[in-house]
Amino acid sequence: MFLHQLNPTMKAFTIVIIVILLALIFDPITPSILFLTTIILMFVGGKVNWKRYFLYLLPFLLFAFGMFWTTLIFAKQPDLPGQTITILTFDFPRESFIVALALAVRVLSVAALSLLFIFTTNIVHFILSLIQQLKLSPKIAYGVLAGYRFLPMMKDELKVIREAHRIRGVNQVSTIRGKWSQYKRYAIPLLASAIRKAERTAIAMESKGFTGDRSRTFLKQFTVSGKDWLFLVIMLTLYAVAVYTSYSLGFLKLYDGEL
Amino acid sequence: MTPHVTVQDLSLRFEFVERDTLSGISFSLEQGESILVLGPSGCGKSTLTLCLNGLYPRELDGALSGDIIINGKPTLSYKPGQLSRIVGVVFQDPETQFCMLTVEDEIAFGLENIAVPREEIEERIDDALRLVDMEHFKQSTISTLSGGQKQKLALACILAMRPNLLILDEPTANLDPIARIDLIQTIKRLKSELGFSLIIIEHQLDQWTDLANRCLMFDKNGSVFFDGSMQQAIRSHRKEIEGEGIWLPKVTQQVLPYVNDKTHDVPLTLEDFSREAHLWSGIQWDENVENIELETQDIFLECNQVSYIANDKTILKDISITIREHEFVAIAGANGSGKTTLSRILAGLQRPVSGTVFLGGKPLTEWNEGELRKEIGYVFQNPEHQFVMNTVYDEIAFSLQMKGVHESEIQERVGRILKLLGLTSYTKNHPFTLSQGQKRRLSIATMIVDEQKMLILDEPTFGQDAATNYEMMLMLEERYQRGTGIVMITHDMELVHNYADRIIVLHEGEVVADCRPAKLWQQPDRLLREWGLDLPIQVKMQRLCKKEDQYHVPTST
Amino acid sequence: MTNWRFKEIVVLSALSVVFAVVYLAFLPVGKLLFGILGPIGYDLIFGIWFIVSIIAAYIIRKPGAAFLSETIAATIEVLIGNAVGPMLIISGMIQGAGAEAVFAATRWKNYSIWVLMLAGVGSSITSFIYGYFMGGFAALDTGYVIAMFVVRVISGALIAGLLGKAISDGLAKTGVLSSYALGKEVRKGKVA
Ligand SMILES: Nc1ncnc2c1ncn2[C@@H]1O[C@H](COP(=O)(O)OP(=O)(O)OP(=O)(O)O)[C@@H](O)[C@H]1O
Ligand SMILES: Nc1ncnc2c1ncn2[C@@H]1O[C@H](COP(=O)(O)OP(=O)(O)OP(=O)(O)O)[C@@H](O)[C@H]1O
Ligand SMILES: [Mg+2]
Ligand SMILES: [Mg+2]
Repeated sequence: MFLHQLNPTMKAFTIVIIVILLALIFDPITPSILFLTTIILMFVGGKVNWKRYFLYLLPFLLFAFGMFWTTLIFAKQPDLPGQTITILTFDFPRESFIVALALAVRVLSVAALSLLFIFTTNIVHFILSLIQQLKLSPKIAYGVLAGYRFLPMMKDELKVIREAHRIRGVNQVSTIRGKWSQYKRYAIPLLASAIRKAERTAIAMESKGFTGDRSRTFLKQFTVSGKDWLFLVIMLTLYAVAVYTSYSLGFLKLYDGEL
Repeated sequence: MTPHVTVQDLSLRFEFVERDTLSGISFSLEQGESILVLGPSGCGKSTLTLCLNGLYPRELDGALSGDIIINGKPTLSYKPGQLSRIVGVVFQDPETQFCMLTVEDEIAFGLENIAVPREEIEERIDDALRLVDMEHFKQSTISTLSGGQKQKLALACILAMRPNLLILDEPTANLDPIARIDLIQTIKRLKSELGFSLIIIEHQLDQWTDLANRCLMFDKNGSVFFDGSMQQAIRSHRKEIEGEGIWLPKVTQQVLPYVNDKTHDVPLTLEDFSREAHLWSGIQWDENVENIELETQDIFLECNQVSYIANDKTILKDISITIREHEFVAIAGANGSGKTTLSRILAGLQRPVSGTVFLGGKPLTEWNEGELRKEIGYVFQNPEHQFVMNTVYDEIAFSLQMKGVHESEIQERVGRILKLLGLTSYTKNHPFTLSQGQKRRLSIATMIVDEQKMLILDEPTFGQDAATNYEMMLMLEERYQRGTGIVMITHDMELVHNYADRIIVLHEGEVVADCRPAKLWQQPDRLLREWGLDLPIQVKMQRLCKKEDQYHVPTST
Repeated sequence: MTNWRFKEIVVLSALSVVFAVVYLAFLPVGKLLFGILGPIGYDLIFGIWFIVSIIAAYIIRKPGAAFLSETIAATIEVLIGNAVGPMLIISGMIQGAGAEAVFAATRWKNYSIWVLMLAGVGSSITSFIYGYFMGGFAALDTGYVIAMFVVRVISGALIAGLLGKAISDGLAKTGVLSSYALGKEVRKGKVA
């Protein structure tokens, strides 16, 4: 449960730092290690619905795979065309292969890091913590929070619009093309209803005394404590270990200003 | 002592609207006083609440003139947000007044805004929830609450902020009769405990009258034509009240035709009536005893062992009912008993988890959508769910245009309906800018113009004034006379009593009664209460009179 | 942000949320095109990812609308949990800044169709520069990179600029925008 108790802002900060550090690395080993250790950390320090977790991870896997193939195929001429690697009877330059692999695994490890944040953080708490730690304007923060409420409503909203059309005798179609044109027809009403709801929420908030200035109290208070620094240290250590291992294996390749 | 609230010559006009919505309103309210605000649907009552809590003119697109003085200071001189410590409004539509995800956060939000210290927030949340009897829902997600619970939560949010002035805008419109009485009792209790001033906007006055005797009556043009006690209003302004279509308490409506002596105080409540029931023995009670033999018509819609489950919760259990051609059926039951769900299944909008609905002997699923819509018309509980067009006129004309009716005929028919429902001056308005009651009427008009064989309506008459309620029922009645079957969900027992051939009662997803209304009223009170139903006022009054007779008979012989 | 009405902020964020979902829905489309045509396939529909800044700015017409809406949309996209990761927020900010710069150049006064299309191009340019460094375009052939850039600029102008305007105008017709700059302009036009 350790991960759930961290200050959301500090957690986000730590993860962004690691992601930036990862962007400096161009070899496949460092991100692979970080990818695995992040998942292990989730397992140890968080309470996670793993089925859902892997469901979320799946699109990233596909994306990484696509990234790998395309980088491999569209890569520019390598410096050492001599060294090649054979996959399914095709020859590829070894250098391109490594770069492609590096980019693909980087996608995965960044995915694991962001999923760590998403699966252990309550979004409302995150926004509240942004107001408290980063002095984000409450006017914007609560505005976003109000908008965020529409997320679960959008599906219902679409259903409502569809039913209205059904009940009024607008013919429904079941072909894919028909569905597409239907969605186009619903797009404007859907947006309109989002705007209308937003407006009403704003009125409701203001009539409950919301002004957007900073002189407010918080039921849920967020502070930065030792735990949060510990998490930062853990993540940096993992990164260092990964880089060192890669270096020892002779793979480490930093971003060297190539354009 | 200066009055708590003073409104002086308040007028308001929305941008791009030709006439004033509120015109020349003046009244004042003492600290701790309660007042009923009455007026026809669309006269500007809800608009007034937004003026009182200072949101208008700040958020108004339009012009406002006149003064509103609260606690000795004009609303304009309060800083934004400051006024909400004094004035708390529970808005008309419970769906649109929440801004957080959970009950606890929602109540906390208002308290945080007015910078209540953190330790105290906790306490006040618990207090407020206790007041409305919802302690167990502290951690609930708001979207899972039933209509009645949402209404109570809205009240709790405002109460937690401890306003001096509480404004309730139709707080009971969608509640079942029992929940409604409970809510009014709660407010009565709170008022005596906390002593706030109270402004109540309502169409249905019963039970409110002993809480607030003074009433402020609006006419269609948005000006006040009466300010005083209900009794006085009935004595001196009966014509106007009838002309504007303002409801009187139901007991009063029943006895008024028999009042000859203008100086006599007419009864406003059942208690008043029971004290003098002997005076009213001459009342002729109209019984709804049309002797249509229910069993003789052909079966139109048949619902066979239908069940519905959502999120592991059984909402409908094994429902089998038949609806014959040309019947007027009411469906009633407590909030959350499954009425809306059932009606959606009957209309073919939702598929049951198990069971089948047959229309003309063919399962609904086998019907072509276009054909089905010619058979069954449906009116959603939430009027806004009905709308697909951008103007009031287009909204009604829509189905006629779809059918290719000639333009001149469309104009004629739409014009007639708009006139009957009092919407003529709103033809070009966007449906969403109408008042709550106007939206309700428009959503029904969209179905009434067409010629379906049966109409299913989910609470068609909520939020209506007496005149529009009458017009609407007349239109439904007319469709009925022309052969359309009507299935109507309603919490209004008078409507059931006066119009329905048959009533189906749902209780926790099961049909517990399916009979003529007159027969239902003979069920034990305890049972009716449990089902969230109340006796119609006529029946109650009739019984009081009967008791009186029994009491008098032995002594007189 | 002091001259913003709170209502406008909430509406802006509601738009951002809706488009965050739209963005997510287009992600598989992008990936499919990417899979078929390579990186340039992505650029074909890249304009969709700037559309909310054009719409928000065109409707509300206040400084910051383009930047803020894109940033919020990207944040929501990350928070829903199905995007490229937290760095997407940075991409969002950079895209938003591109459009914002164009509106700033007109002092937030001109919202003609050309300006809207230029704003889409602005986002294309900033996002491309960013993508070049972060997305590893460095590893690609130079000619190919130039082709990608041209495609993205066109996509920004057409999808973000033109389509964004069309959607907003459609929305204004429904009357919901009556208290925002665009809605007021439309209604004034009608009355006059
Ligand atoms: N934003 C708006 N723009 C234009 N007209 C409006 C707007 N809001 C309300 N109106 C109009 O103002 C009038 C008064 O509306 P209001 O909601 O105050 O009525 P009401 O008395 O509360 O009615 P009901 O009993 O049906 O709730 C209506 O005719 C409505 O169409
Ligand atoms: N999709 C759903 N998921 C979970 N619960 C649902 C869903 N739809 C309805 N319910 C629940 O089913 C019950 C019946 O809902 P329904 O809307 O049919 O009630 P109702 O009788 O129409 O009540 P009211 O008089 O308040 O309109 C309620 O408790 C409601 O919370
Ligand atoms: Mg109202
Ligand atoms: Mg219902």
